[in-house]
Amino acid sequence: MGALRPWARFPLLVVAHLLALGIGAAVFQALEGPPARQLQAKLRAELATFQAEYGACLPPGALEELLGTALAAQVHGVSSLGNGSEAGNWDLPSALLFTASLLTTTGYGYMAPLSAGGKAFCVVYAALGLPASLALLAALRRGLLPLLSRPGAWVAGQWQLAPARAALLQAAGWGLLVAATFVLLPALVLWGLQGDRSLLEAVYFCFGSLSTIGLGDLLPGRGRGLHPVLYHLGQLALLGYLLLGLLAMLLAVETFSELPQVRAMVKFFGSSGLLTAEDQGGILGQDELALSTLPPSAAAPEQAPTC
Amino acid sequence: GNGSNLVESQTDLCSDHWGLVCFYYVHLGELRHLGAFGNDKGGKLLFLNIPFSQIAEQNIFKRNAQFCGLVCLNLHFSPFAMSVSSWSRMFPDVYSVPLFLLTSVPLLLRAGYGHTVPLSDGGKAFCIIYSVIGIPFTLLFLTAVVQRVTIHVTRRPVLYFHIRWGFSKQVVAIVHAVLLGFVTVSCFFFIPAAVFSILEDDWNFLESFYFCFISLSTIGLGDYVPGEGYNQKFRELYKIGITCYLLLGLIAMLVVLETFCELHELKKFRKMFYVKKDKDEDRVHIIEHDQLSFSSIADQATGPKEDRRQDEPFVGPQSSAHPDGSALHDH
Repeated sequence: MGALRPWARFPLLVVAHLLALGIGAAVFQALEGPPARQLQAKLRAELATFQAEYGACLPPGALEELLGTALAAQVHGVSSLGNGSEAGNWDLPSALLFTASLLTTTGYGYMAPLSAGGKAFCVVYAALGLPASLALLAALRRGLLPLLSRPGAWVAGQWQLAPARAALLQAAGWGLLVAATFVLLPALVLWGLQGDRSLLEAVYFCFGSLSTIGLGDLLPGRGRGLHPVLYHLGQLALLGYLLLGLLAMLLAVETFSELPQVRAMVKFFGSSGLLTAEDQGGILGQDELALSTLPPSAAAPEQAPTC
Repeated sequence: GNGSNLVESQTDLCSDHWGLVCFYYVHLGELRHLGAFGNDKGGKLLFLNIPFSQIAEQNIFKRNAQFCGLVCLNLHFSPFAMSVSSWSRMFPDVYSVPLFLLTSVPLLLRAGYGHTVPLSDGGKAFCIIYSVIGIPFTLLFLTAVVQRVTIHVTRRPVLYFHIRWGFSKQVVAIVHAVLLGFVTVSCFFFIPAAVFSILEDDWNFLESFYFCFISLSTIGLGDYVPGEGYNQKFRELYKIGITCYLLLGLIAMLVVLETFCELHELKKFRKMFYVKKDKDEDRVHIIEHDQLSFSSIADQATGPKEDRRQDEPFVGPQSSAHPDGSALHDH
C-alpha cells in the first residue's frame, strides 16, 4: 500500500467505496429477496381467503374507503385501532422524542409532521438546531476527552507501554465499554421486557439508534396498549438512552480517530500531494493571523508566498 | 365488485393517471385485509376491491405492469398494521439493485429512511455488520473528498482574493463562506426541490424541499421517499440519480460546514465554551504528531503543518481529517 502513488490513492478510495455500495446492495438483495417473496405469497393467499369468506357481505366500496382512510393515516403514524386509553400521538414525551430524533439526526420516522406548517417548522428548527447541537457536542467532547485519556495514560505508566500501544488499548477498551453498556445492555433489557422480540432485533434497534441511522421499524412499546404513564416513562427512558448513548458513542469514535493508525490512514488518502506552495501560503496566512493577535512588538510583517 | 366491473376498472387502470398503492393490512397480528387505492384524475381517493383469485388466474398482474406499479408495505410491529417495504414491481425481478442501492446508501450515510427495512434475521444481522464496517469506511472516504474539495473551493479562492485584490483575509473568508452557503442551498435544496415537485405526482414544493432537507441532514424520517410513484418512468435510473444526489449533497454540506468552521470569528466564539486545557498534554500531543509526520518520508515536504492540533485555534490550518466540532461524526 505504501508503494501506491499519491495520485492513485484517492481514485482507489472512490472505486473501493462504490464497490462497497454495490456489494452491500447485492448482499441485501440476496438476503431479502426470498423472505419478501414468501410474505407476498402468504398475503395473496390470505387475501383470497378473505375474499371468499366476506366478499359477499360487504357493501361495495365501504370497506375499501375505510381501509384507504385508515392506511393513509397510518403512514403518518396515526393509528386508527387500539383502545382509547392510549396516549395521543403528539403529547409532550412523544414530541420530545421526535425533536430529539431530529437534532441527533436519528430520525426514527414513525412520527412525522403532517401539516405544512409543521414541515416548514421542522426544516427551520433543524437548520438552526443542528449546528447548535454540533457546537454543544464539540464543547462536550473537548471537555470530556481529557478525562477519557487519563486511564490510558495511567495504564501506560503502570505497564511501561509505548504511547501508541497504550492509545490502541485505550481506544479498544472504550469501544468495548460503549458497546457493552449502550448496545448490549439496553438490548438485553429490551429483550427481557418485550417477549415477542428476539435479541437480534433488540440489538438491531439499539445499534440503529446509536449510529443515528434510526430505522425506527422496531420502536419498543409502540401501540401495545400500555398504561399511559408506563408508556411515557418508556419514552423518556428512550430519550435519555438516545442522548447519553450518542454522546458515549461519539467519545468512543473520537478516541479511535485520534489513534496514530487511523490518522495515518487518513493522511494516506488525504490530499498531501495537493498542497502546493499556494496552500502553504495559506498556512502562512493563518500564522500571520495568529501572530497578529500577539502584542504588536512580536508581529511579523505580512509575507506574500513565494512560488 | 364483480368480475366485469373489475375488468373495466382494470382497463381504467391502464390509463396513466392512477397513482396506485396497495396496502396489505394486518389485524391483530394476522393478515386479513387487502386494499388497493388510488387517485383518479380528479384526485379523489378511490379504492379497488381486487378479487385476487381472478387476477391470479388470468395472470393480469403479469400482463398489466402498470397495475402492479407500486406495492407499498411498511413494517411496523404494531398490532393493527403490518407493512413490509416497497417494490417497483411485484414479480420475478422484484428486487432491483438500484432499489437496494437506495437502501444501502442511506444506511451508509446514516440517513436511514426506514422505508425499506430488512425482514429476515440474516438481513438485520448483515445490516449491523455492514454498518459497523461501512460507516467508518464511508467517513474515511468523505474525509478525503471533503478535504480536497475544500482546498479547491475555499482555500484557493480566499487566498486569491486576499493576495491579488488585497482585501483582509477575514473579510474575504466571511464573504466567501456566505456566498458558498447561498450557492449550496440553491443548488442542493431549491433546485432539487423544484425538480422533485415536478417529477413526483403529489409532492408540492414545500414537501420536496422538506424531503431534500431531511435527507441531506441525514435525519431521514422516511415519510417522503421519491421514486415510489405508480407511473414512475425509468424508475431504476431515477433511483440511481437520487442516490448520486444524496452523496453529492452530503459532500456539499460537509464542505460548507468545513468552510464555516474555519472562519476565525467562529473559532473565537467556540473558544468561549472550551475548558481550559492542560498545557502539558497539548505539548505531548504536538510532539507525537510531529513524530508521526516525520516518520513518513513522503510527507516531509508538507511537514508538521497538517498535523498541528486543529483545536489550538491560533495554530495552523484546520485539517479536514479531524475537524473540530465533530463535523464528520454526526453527518
